[in-house]
Amino acid sequence: MTDRLRWYLRLPWRSSSRLRADLDDELRFYFDMRTRELVEQGMSEAAARREAVREFGDVEYTKRYCLAEDAMSSREERRTDLVAELRQDIAHSWRTFRRAPSFAAVALVTLALGIGANTAIFSVVNGLLLRDLPFGDADGLVRIWGSHKDSGVDRSQISAGDFIDLRTRQRSFTTLGAFSWGGGTYIGTGDPVRLAGARVDANVFTVLGVRPYLGRTFAAGEDSTGANPTIVLGFNAWRRVFGGDSAVVGKSINVSGRSRTVIGVLPPSFFFPTMAEAEIFTPLDLTPMLRDVNRIRKFHNLGAVGRLRPGATLAQARSELSGIMGQLERDFPASNSNMSVATVSMRDAVVGDTRPALLVLLGASLLVLLIACANVAGMLLSRAVSRRQELAVRAALGAGRARLVRQMMTESLVLALCGGAVGLGLALWGTRALVVSAADRLPAASQVTVDATVLLAALVVTVASGVVFGLVPAIAASRGIQLALKDAGRGASGGVSRHRMRTVLVTGQLALAVMLLVGAGLLVRSLVSLQNRDLGYSIESTLTFEVILVGDRYDSATAQDQFFDALYTRLAALPGVVAVGGSGNIPMRGGAMASLAIDGRPQPEGRLPEVGYQPVSDDLFRAMGVALKRGRTFGPQDHNDAPSVVILSESLVRAFWPDGDPIGARVRLGPNPNDPWMTVVGVVGDVKMGVANNSRPTAYVSARQDHWGGMAIVVRTSTDPMSLLPAVRREVRAIDPTIPVDEAHSMKQVQSKQLTDRRLPMQLMAAFALLALVLAAVGVYGVMAYSVAARTREIGVRVALGAQPKSVFGMVVRQGLGAAAAGLTLGLLGAAALGRVLTSLLYGVKPTDVSTFLGVAGVLLAVVLAACLVPARRAVRVDPLEALRSE
Amino acid sequence: MTKPPIDLLQGTVDVLILRTLAWEPMHGYGVSRFIRQRTEGVLTIESAALYQALHRLERKKWIRAEWGLSENNRRAKYYSLTAEGRKQLREEAATWRTYAEAVFKVLEPV
Repeated sequence: MTDRLRWYLRLPWRSSSRLRADLDDELRFYFDMRTRELVEQGMSEAAARREAVREFGDVEYTKRYCLAEDAMSSREERRTDLVAELRQDIAHSWRTFRRAPSFAAVALVTLALGIGANTAIFSVVNGLLLRDLPFGDADGLVRIWGSHKDSGVDRSQISAGDFIDLRTRQRSFTTLGAFSWGGGTYIGTGDPVRLAGARVDANVFTVLGVRPYLGRTFAAGEDSTGANPTIVLGFNAWRRVFGGDSAVVGKSINVSGRSRTVIGVLPPSFFFPTMAEAEIFTPLDLTPMLRDVNRIRKFHNLGAVGRLRPGATLAQARSELSGIMGQLERDFPASNSNMSVATVSMRDAVVGDTRPALLVLLGASLLVLLIACANVAGMLLSRAVSRRQELAVRAALGAGRARLVRQMMTESLVLALCGGAVGLGLALWGTRALVVSAADRLPAASQVTVDATVLLAALVVTVASGVVFGLVPAIAASRGIQLALKDAGRGASGGVSRHRMRTVLVTGQLALAVMLLVGAGLLVRSLVSLQNRDLGYSIESTLTFEVILVGDRYDSATAQDQFFDALYTRLAALPGVVAVGGSGNIPMRGGAMASLAIDGRPQPEGRLPEVGYQPVSDDLFRAMGVALKRGRTFGPQDHNDAPSVVILSESLVRAFWPDGDPIGARVRLGPNPNDPWMTVVGVVGDVKMGVANNSRPTAYVSARQDHWGGMAIVVRTSTDPMSLLPAVRREVRAIDPTIPVDEAHSMKQVQSKQLTDRRLPMQLMAAFALLALVLAAVGVYGVMAYSVAARTREIGVRVALGAQPKSVFGMVVRQGLGAAAAGLTLGLLGAAALGRVLTSLLYGVKPTDVSTFLGVAGVLLAVVLAACLVPARRAVRVDPLEALRSE
Repeated sequence: MTKPPIDLLQGTVDVLILRTLAWEPMHGYGVSRFIRQRTEGVLTIESAALYQALHRLERKKWIRAEWGLSENNRRAKYYSLTAEGRKQLREEAATWRTYAEAVFKVLEPV
């Protein structure tokens, strides 16, 4: 076996039996010579031989010793030989590439793009999906959401009562922690700073396994009523607002008018899961919610996290929590019917939404790499033709077939490694660009770096592609040697199978490119339909910002009304302002929910239906461009002491008033049965909520009758909305200098930001598709050019026999289009089969969208046609005499 | 042979072989005969040690082996010095000289 292998690898090392025979020969020679010498000195032959052996010393030991030494030498020899051959091959490859710089450059760029794209995408996948989250032992971490079995909403909040029951009855977790949204305004010496934050109970940080950067996190009891008010700062807030001063720990700071002691700073890598914006953390006291009979199970405002007990599985925990929720549903049907929880691993909770997009992109980048490999393989195949003589000479000089294959593979690997090195550079740059553009949508984006895993993956991809694109031409070349020796470089013999191989490669390339083009086309169409869909309001020329009233002086409803009235009046007076309004939330950011009861209708079984709930200012609908369909909007007459009024959205009306006229009807919003009935005074058009959600039935109340202490302000302008911002800030400051203007954007910016996580995959996919198309076009061009060159004589004969230029041209183009048709068919079939993986990324377009498929077919045929043009024209210009004479 | 031959240290054998091969390529038997003749029988290298040393030196790449024909037309393994071996010989010889001189300085007054 070893001998066979050695023969196969053409290496001159000696086998162990060979070594033994050599040693025996060497020693036999010594004994013979010595014996003869002794005989000459007068000994008998037999005595001389005995004496020679005796005086030699330990023969057996010497044999063993020498054999061991020889074996070592032989091994070393083998190694140095291999290294020497490798160096020889590498040097030879280098010379080869130097001699064909344009081939090397094209191959290098092709590979660099393929490998770079893969490495960049993989580094993102690695950072987001593979690496650990910045929480102690993230595997056992679980996020618990509220879910509504009737409406299918599965990422909502939990009520305090349900949370306490879950926490005390469950056995799967070490414990559960609850948190709710709750930022604040830091009032220091400079401008007030609005800081997003969360209120967390004392368990949350323990569950998350966070080790504070400075100080400590909340201790048990610090979240209870009457405890000393404390605060924990996120690393960024600490750096930005407090200048990274470690002395701030232990000091008291003013947050939203309340003095709180800073007890700790969180580490830089930490982000609050599913609430990554949170920068300050204050204790969450559940007692007030638990005491309030109307809030204990009907007010859903808590998020929950838990850490699985050792040995407990997610599935067990999920069924246990669902079981507890089922019990609560039976015990409290009025509040809990159809309420359950969604128990999700933290990783899924944090990056679950990005997973499909990332995997699709990873797949796409692999397809690009395959196309790149096919291209390089095709190029190498063509080169193999022109190198047949060189290979033949090398074979004649004693290089075995395996040695030649090895040399070709070395060339391919050298090419791949060079391409990989350049590709890695591209990937470093690309990864950074990706992280920057995704940073505010992906909390874990900071995790994305080019680390050892990524480097290893890049190396694997590089070597694998080197093998993939190198093997085919290497085998083809070695097969061609015998042929080549027979007819040194004449004609096109041996080229037929090689040409067929290239055609197969190009067909495959085209098929892959078609699949990528279809994917990109579908994503582009999704984004276009997302951007162009009717939102129910207008985002043109609209500025939005948030104002949160801080301080005791805004405790009264009157004070809040006064502030906002003054604000609306001042802003409306600014030049270029068309209308000003305020709303609890802008629709893109979602909003609150409330249960709906209708006066005079029987209470439904179980829980009341939930509808969207939004306090709005008098002029909001005009500022937003929401159509008033019936009745009136709010006005100053709907003040705090006036009868409660409500405006309903069309879809809500459709659901509960089949005749379409609810004006004058009375409804109650929210869980408290003692709240007054509200009279419906108007109906407005539906508004799309969130990123891709459908319109949600919504009830609007007057901001004069429900005071949230903060509003999202909407300013419709007749100019560039952002140009108004300085004036807006000035006006706010004029009313109250302690109130910050927060989250100021044009509505277009808000939308564009919200579409980032859809735009990014679309852009990348489009880039990959374009790359694939270009590579495939280069591939088609290569194979056609080669085919024309190889068929020069045939074409010459045809022309000599009277073929018209048109028919020669057509012949070449037909050949190209034949490959295109095959590739297109395969690609479209593949796209139709694989389209389903895109479903979750699509909006308003089916994965088998006919117009996208047709468009892709058109684009591909056009590109293939263009790629055939140059070779076809070359074919037309073939001079028959020249072509025939060259034989 | 009135005095018994002196036992040699391994390093000594190595340097003697290198010195011997510096004259010309030789087979193992030739090396053993050469050293015996050169030292007039004072230094006797046991042939076992000699062959061990040859193979060891070959592994260290100080000497190189090639099969050739002997004086009496037999296939024999010829050893010759490599460039590295020559360098080694120079160094070892210098070390030996220094060593011997130092020993003589101590022994002189006797």
